[in-house]
Amino acid sequence: MLADKYADRIEEIFAKYPDKRSGIMDLLYLAQEEYGWLSEDALREVAALCDVDPTQAQSIAGFYTMFSEKPKGKYWLQVCTDLPCALRGADQFYRELCEYLGVEDGGTTGDGLFTVEQVMCLAACDRAPMLQCNFHYYENLDMETIKALIEQWRARALEEVPEPGE
Amino acid sequence: MADIVTITIDGQDFQVPAGTNLVDAAKMLGTDIPVFCYHPKMEPVGMCRMCLVELGSISVNRETGEPDLDENGEPVVRWFPKLQTACTQKTYEGMVIRTTTEKVVAGRDDILEFILTSHPLDCPVCDKGGECPLQNLTMAYGPGQSRFVFTDKLNLDKHVPLGELIYLDRERCIQCARCVRFCDELVGDDVLAFHERGRRLQIVTISDPPFDTKFSGNTTDICPVGALTTTDFRFGARPWELDEVPTICPYCPVGCNLSASTRLDRDTGGKKIIKRIMPRQNEEVNEIWICDKGRFGHHHSRSTERILHPMIRKGDELVTVDWATAYAEVAARLKKYGDRTGFVAGPALSNEDLWELRKLTRLVGEQRQRGLWPATMSGIEAIAQAGAGVGTRVQDMGPGGAILVIASDFEEEAPIWWLQVKQAADRGVKVVVANARGTKLDKYAAATMPYAYGDAVAVMNGLAARARSRKKIARSLVESRVDGMDALIDSLKGVKVPHPEAADLLLDADDLLIFAGGEGLTLAQHGELMQAAANLLILTAHVGRPNNGLVAVWPGANVQGAMDMGFSAETTAALLDDPPPMWFIAEADPAGEDVRAAEVIANAECVVVTSLFMTETAQQADIILPGQSFAERDGTFTNGMRRVQRFYTAQGPIGDSLPDWKIFAHIGRQMGGDQPRISTGLVMREITEKVFRYADMGYPNLARVEKQFPDVGGDDLYYGGTAYTNTGGLGVQWKTNAEHEQHRLTVRPVNVDSFAADGLQLIPVRVLYDRGMWFRVSDVMDQRVPAPYVELNEADAAGLGIADGEQIAVVLGERTVEVRARVNGKTPAGYALLPMRLSDAPTLTVPAAGVVQKIEE
Repeated sequence: MLADKYADRIEEIFAKYPDKRSGIMDLLYLAQEEYGWLSEDALREVAALCDVDPTQAQSIAGFYTMFSEKPKGKYWLQVCTDLPCALRGADQFYRELCEYLGVEDGGTTGDGLFTVEQVMCLAACDRAPMLQCNFHYYENLDMETIKALIEQWRARALEEVPEPGE
Repeated sequence: MADIVTITIDGQDFQVPAGTNLVDAAKMLGTDIPVFCYHPKMEPVGMCRMCLVELGSISVNRETGEPDLDENGEPVVRWFPKLQTACTQKTYEGMVIRTTTEKVVAGRDDILEFILTSHPLDCPVCDKGGECPLQNLTMAYGPGQSRFVFTDKLNLDKHVPLGELIYLDRERCIQCARCVRFCDELVGDDVLAFHERGRRLQIVTISDPPFDTKFSGNTTDICPVGALTTTDFRFGARPWELDEVPTICPYCPVGCNLSASTRLDRDTGGKKIIKRIMPRQNEEVNEIWICDKGRFGHHHSRSTERILHPMIRKGDELVTVDWATAYAEVAARLKKYGDRTGFVAGPALSNEDLWELRKLTRLVGEQRQRGLWPATMSGIEAIAQAGAGVGTRVQDMGPGGAILVIASDFEEEAPIWWLQVKQAADRGVKVVVANARGTKLDKYAAATMPYAYGDAVAVMNGLAARARSRKKIARSLVESRVDGMDALIDSLKGVKVPHPEAADLLLDADDLLIFAGGEGLTLAQHGELMQAAANLLILTAHVGRPNNGLVAVWPGANVQGAMDMGFSAETTAALLDDPPPMWFIAEADPAGEDVRAAEVIANAECVVVTSLFMTETAQQADIILPGQSFAERDGTFTNGMRRVQRFYTAQGPIGDSLPDWKIFAHIGRQMGGDQPRISTGLVMREITEKVFRYADMGYPNLARVEKQFPDVGGDDLYYGGTAYTNTGGLGVQWKTNAEHEQHRLTVRPVNVDSFAADGLQLIPVRVLYDRGMWFRVSDVMDQRVPAPYVELNEADAAGLGIADGEQIAVVLGERTVEVRARVNGKTPAGYALLPMRLSDAPTLTVPAAGVVQKIEE
């Protein structure tokens, strides 16, 4: 439960606002960080913390694209493919990225590590192709760089996976 | 009063109050501005863009303040370059609009084409078809053809249950947000919201239970398309096949005006049946809203469990007999027992029933023991003196007004009053809630006055003491026509004022309206509470005028009428204390609701009942007479604000059943009484001659209607929704003594004794969705009726070793009822809240000491 695990952070969040209701966005981020995505249970948990109806939490999660109501990979790769980025080859980059990971547009890899999707402008047109991975920017990418990064992330993720039988 | 300004609509000048919403102003002046998202009962949002008009202002010379004139001497109008949404405009001096120009016509056409880009073409199977604002406005203003390819339409889910009462068709939704705003702004239950955005914007709910509000049905009325439909009526009939019959809700004291949509139906072998219940506009009562209980609670009228024939007990068996035999048998019993008969009238008998029953009691003997069920509330004298003034409308109250709600779980007991008071609080009316526990209204209240159960009278008396000490006593009224002042003033000396600040909110207001319930009070205490309220209102002259006075939250639709006809809860209490051998119980189930009554009735020598169902009481009866539901007969109810309202026959009778008034009249005939009247209208005529407060209540008066605002139904579906225009009558309120100048008013000291709290006290509380006599057979609502439960404080529960959710036993004298424990920190310690009419077994109707324990293995 968020309330137990992040009691201090939640208190900090509420301290910023005049009423609990206003802290809902911060708490949704917190929940998404914790669970990887916003399940209905997570929405209910946040709503209860903010003292609003769960429907309100769902509505907010639905409106903002940075909240996800579907399970995501551990690494959530959002590639901007808007026109200026596309002019710098972002669309081609995105296709190749999907191919490399072996997923469809918007899909998640079989091991549950990577989700890729196209998004609208991330305000880094001059450094395209670019993507954000779990809200951190990676810019001026080509396939070589991204492949290296992906393998790095994969290795890191695998280290954390417990050995069978443990 | 707001300033009057001149506005020009399509070249014609009109005078209107400044700041009126432009759509409303145009409507009142006879110009239709089409809308989807705007609703006259809600704040505008300008989302649908349907109300586009050309808007301009008369140009005024800044130096002289005179209008600029053109070469022809006409005022110069400065027009907005683009069309403006009328719903977001308020009227001001020099406003000029055009609603019929080519530009406006093209604008509306474009907006409709846009709204229809993805609207499915399923009007032939859509419930709204025939009464659909989108359909109507498209015919009136829209394009004849779509330029979009049918297969390009966005397909979304078509059968999404928003809870078990309302279905959502996502494709049909035009995203006007009327339903979301209704829940959010008007009701305050934020249980509907938009999800995603753009073209995929959808209505969602994940509240628990889904769409958790008592007013959900109203969203289907104001939905301008067929996106929201009720489970009850879905695919049930087409609107143009329906015959509308004006009726009145039989459940609570608000007296909501309903319209029963009926048709000849296959399911009933071609007989007329109620297909749905809709609100009927009465701006004096329920406006255009009704609660879900009223909307979906009509199924008892056609239940297969109804009693079809008169029956007489022969040994252990009930034998079906004809009416003549039944009348003769009842008359024989009444003659035998004479004065030793206790009469008990139910909470929703019509005034005509009550009058005929009253006449019957006079034929039986001198005692005329006219009891009322449930026997929980009294205080008709207080209402007669200081009842809410004629013309009281909570909707009219503003920041100068104050409302006190005391001893009532208001939303559960009178949902539409709750809604109106909640909205009043939003408008700045000082709402003060006094109760022994938290209720939903507290959130909206300006102040609360918490007290311990039993102290309600002391709290009310404290207000009068505060009025005295703050010199708020209205000398002119008191000196001219109030008796008993000295004794009262003496009794108020030194009385403690529990919540002085909250008290001052009430005492400093121009208007003061008090809603008094009966929660946690014994019958005697309730009488004192009502008197204490009347004392306060008379002392401060908050009587005899609109929006001032006392309203009792009676436990039924026509408890007021029953009291007006001479029935009282005190008599019932006396009858239970000293039980007569014979009981005559009309449309009530004392044995099913109260352990003590169950005991007494089980021991009676003879019990005669009129009933729709085989209730606990009917099962004890020697003679059972099948009465009729509100749907099968006509009559009048008197609501909690003393408004007498007519209801009309909606469908044919079930079996041999007869309306109660006829049954009583026929029995009376056997006892030497008059020939039964042939209609309720003639019974009412007799009432108007004999009961002075009902002198104006002749049927023609009650049936009078007038034009009301906002316009609903008919050609104005797009504007106010599908609530029905009132054709059955707005009803008439009877005047209180305060409103008759020649009457004197009486105040007296009240008895503030609290009940001795020794051990755990069981407090019966009312819940809206119960297993009452009629409501339990309303299967649509079944899931909303909770399993029997008792609410306990954590400390008490811990002491008893009871956990939340555990099935436990409540010991009520000889009987034990099993219920689920709801343990929380909110229930006052030392008290257990036991909802009435949830168990199949009788429980309590008045507070009593009791035992709550674990179930022994």
